[in-house]
Amino acid sequence: MSTIDTTSPILSARGVHHGFGQTEALRGIDVDVHAGEVLAVMGPSGSGKSTLLHCLAGILAPIRGTVAYAPRGQAPVNISGLGEAERSRLRLTDFGFVFQFGQLLPELTALDNVSLPLLLGGTKRAEARQRSKELLERLGLDGFTAKLPGELSGGQAQRVAIARALVTAPAVLFADEPTGSLDSLAAENVLTLMLDLVREAGTTVVLITHDARTAAYADREIIVLDGSISAGHRVAA
Amino acid sequence: MNPAVLKMALLGSRSSWGRMAGIGGGVAIGVCLVLLLWSAANGLAQRDARGAWLREMGQTPVTVPLAADGLTANGRPEPIPLAPDKILLGFPGDIFRDQLINHRDIAALPTTTVKIPGIGAPPAPGQYYASPALQRLIESTPAEELGDRYGQFAGVIDDSALPGPDALVVITGVSEAQLRQGPAAMLVTDFTPNPYGESASLYRTALMVGGIAVLFPVLLLVSIATGLGAAQRRERFATLRLIGASPRLISGMAAVETAIPSLAGALLGVVLAVVFRPAAAQVPVDGTRVFLADFTFGAGFAGTAVVLVVAACALVAARRNARTGIGPLGVTRAMHEKTPTLWRAGPLLAGLAGMAFGAVLAKVDTDGNPWTSPLLIGGFALTAVGVVTVGPWLTRMVSTIGLHRARSAAAVIAASRIRQTPVATFRSVSGLVIAAFMVSVFAGGVSAIETIDAPEARPGLLLPTSVYALVAPGFTPGHVSSVAQNIQEVAGIRDVTVGYARAALGRGEDMDIYIPAEDAPSLGFRETLAEQVAAFDTSFLNSWTTTPVALTAAPVHSLAGLAPVVLVVGTDGTAEALDRARTALNTSGVTATPATSRADLATMGSTRLIQGLSALAYLGVFVAVVIAGISLAASTAAAILDRKRVLGLMRLMGMPVAVLRRVIVREAAVPLLAVLLLSVGLGFLVAWLMIISFGRGRTITWPGPEYYAALSLSLLLALAAVAATFGLVRSNTAITATRSE
Repeated sequence: MSTIDTTSPILSARGVHHGFGQTEALRGIDVDVHAGEVLAVMGPSGSGKSTLLHCLAGILAPIRGTVAYAPRGQAPVNISGLGEAERSRLRLTDFGFVFQFGQLLPELTALDNVSLPLLLGGTKRAEARQRSKELLERLGLDGFTAKLPGELSGGQAQRVAIARALVTAPAVLFADEPTGSLDSLAAENVLTLMLDLVREAGTTVVLITHDARTAAYADREIIVLDGSISAGHRVAA
Repeated sequence: MNPAVLKMALLGSRSSWGRMAGIGGGVAIGVCLVLLLWSAANGLAQRDARGAWLREMGQTPVTVPLAADGLTANGRPEPIPLAPDKILLGFPGDIFRDQLINHRDIAALPTTTVKIPGIGAPPAPGQYYASPALQRLIESTPAEELGDRYGQFAGVIDDSALPGPDALVVITGVSEAQLRQGPAAMLVTDFTPNPYGESASLYRTALMVGGIAVLFPVLLLVSIATGLGAAQRRERFATLRLIGASPRLISGMAAVETAIPSLAGALLGVVLAVVFRPAAAQVPVDGTRVFLADFTFGAGFAGTAVVLVVAACALVAARRNARTGIGPLGVTRAMHEKTPTLWRAGPLLAGLAGMAFGAVLAKVDTDGNPWTSPLLIGGFALTAVGVVTVGPWLTRMVSTIGLHRARSAAAVIAASRIRQTPVATFRSVSGLVIAAFMVSVFAGGVSAIETIDAPEARPGLLLPTSVYALVAPGFTPGHVSSVAQNIQEVAGIRDVTVGYARAALGRGEDMDIYIPAEDAPSLGFRETLAEQVAAFDTSFLNSWTTTPVALTAAPVHSLAGLAPVVLVVGTDGTAEALDRARTALNTSGVTATPATSRADLATMGSTRLIQGLSALAYLGVFVAVVIAGISLAASTAAAILDRKRVLGLMRLMGMPVAVLRRVIVREAAVPLLAVLLLSVGLGFLVAWLMIISFGRGRTITWPGPEYYAALSLSLLLALAAVAATFGLVRSNTAITATRSE
């Protein structure tokens, strides 16, 4: 089990503004994400929490402000100053993503879905499949590797998505409503499995949710309202 | 249908207008080409009817006295005398350059009542009537090459007796004695108005095949455009289903949505056909154009074509939409394709079997079996359908192997998708596969012509630079020798050899011809004989002889007492010299047959049969390729839209756009290449079956450069069509496509 390094943030957003047309989604957000912590970002629909995740992950470049990424032992990099190709590369090697639904390629088996990020990173297919298989086994999916997404339950599909997000051993996992489409039992099961894996690996997690029960699994939570952080506190252990 | 729903279906977005314009445009081109092909078929039928009189073979001009048993001859044949209702008709083969001239010699009494088509009364001896095209040719060519063959110009033949504006027809007046001298003059009382119909029938078969070839990609375009429409409006259709619209209503919307632009396109196609009719009528088929007045499609056929094409498009659209599986919660069935099995090869095998049976019938029943054309057309259509039905099976096989061997992310994604959806994936390239099939069929057909190139010079065979004519009986050796000397004076003539025999020769008779041994080299023989007189078999003269004939020592020591039977004229090989030699021989007054060369077989045979179609074929294939290219672009766009969320998420996770592009290219390339080889092979097989059915002994060979150009164009267009969707990959996999809300 890893510890949270509160001395220097792995992600640091300063004065981040972003908008879509006339709508201002983020209004000068400042937030630090520490290495190894699970940060829950809460807020109602349309509050800007997903936009914040996209800015932190380098998917969107802020209109104003900076997002610095500083993996352990390395100098910070201003993500928002990188080109699209460099940001894509960073997302591929250092970040992992889990979304609410529909993130698996429907024609690929569970094993091939998980292998994809490794193949994109240049890993040989046999090795990629072996590593993916081991991870799927750890997630309790050893009997489902040859199944297509359409043949899996919602919970199983989310576990495959988690395996795909973690197979490259990312420094940061961004999870946007990862259990939003599951019933409470399946959601708890998926969340527990995911957090066990990331805590064991020391992976930092930015977890977007509007469900307080999900947020309760995090080390810390912030609440986004109208594009600004309205509150933040450490969750009781 | 509820007008509001219909409006929603039709006027949904700007993309709907683009899609409908695409459908309308495709249908317009398709209908226009079908109407023009039908016009060509009608024109050819009319052409055969106009030229029917040229088929008149008459009756034998002699009677043979019979013995008491009524069966055996008793005495020499007696000529049947000319009468006012009988003329004598001769059929001299006549060639200028590589063009066959329909030449008729006529001998008639001044009081004749027989009407000659196109001119009325027969020409007087020494005069001729010519078609306008031939007269123009005569006037623009030195007389010794052409004009001297016919005498004095008396007038032009009326269009009503000419197959087409380019027809080369000449009717010459000759004396009765001159005609009776030749072997093939016949008595005619009137000229048949009934066309044999062979040319029209063959071309109609080929044109109907062309019609199928044109409509196939149009229907594929409609199907794919409908699929694209469904992909673009998935949420909208799902919402309609959610609020209670039945699948039938959604399919009905697709049918109506397609029927309206199809109707507009079909009507536009009729207008285009009317506009392009004069230009299309200029395309020569079988060596000549048809008259514009004959090149018509008729209001009835146009109306039927419009109704059938619109109905077919609406049905295809309804069926395609029903199969997209859009339910109240979005797409629910799209990924559940039935695994293609080998049964999909059924139509292909049935089509090939039908064509093979048709070819066998054509071989066995040389008089023309009524089942031959239906079997060949039906077999061809089934084979074309078979290429499309077997494609998914083959695609899946290739993708399974590809997935096993895949090393990169793009390869894994593409191979997996193809393996899961071989039918949908193959559909996107099926238009180009069909186009490749069609272009191979036509290239194979056209290649049959190229097998009949100018014959090569070989010792023991008549030199290709020589022409010969048989000498009519009764002329003395001295007279014939003097004629030979006169011919020798003509420009471009190198030598003239007189051949002798024990008796006068008839065409095709098996007998030895004797020549002075010293003349043998000028005929192309390499043997040197010690004897004064050499002999060779008459098969040496036949244009169909392919085995060299040996020169042997003659059983006689002198030519004295033998009859001159043939004049062989060697030329410098130029077209002008050959035509001067023909003219000199035909006007020498001693010949019984027209001047003939080894190359004539190609000119007089069916060589133009398929050659005439090549221009139409490549035009049709070009249109099919363009339509298929549009279909591929639409299909690729639909495939991207289908997966925009998941592809967007892949991009978001760091997959470069270049990888997505490679996925799209592979998804098009694998099925295309997998079936391309098959369709090319099948195309040549079909061409071969057509050729052995209609080509009278011809065979196919490697195609010309235009084939490779057409195939390259298909592949380039495929590449361009896929590349055109690259922008869509970037824009439709942007972050907005991935939002969960």
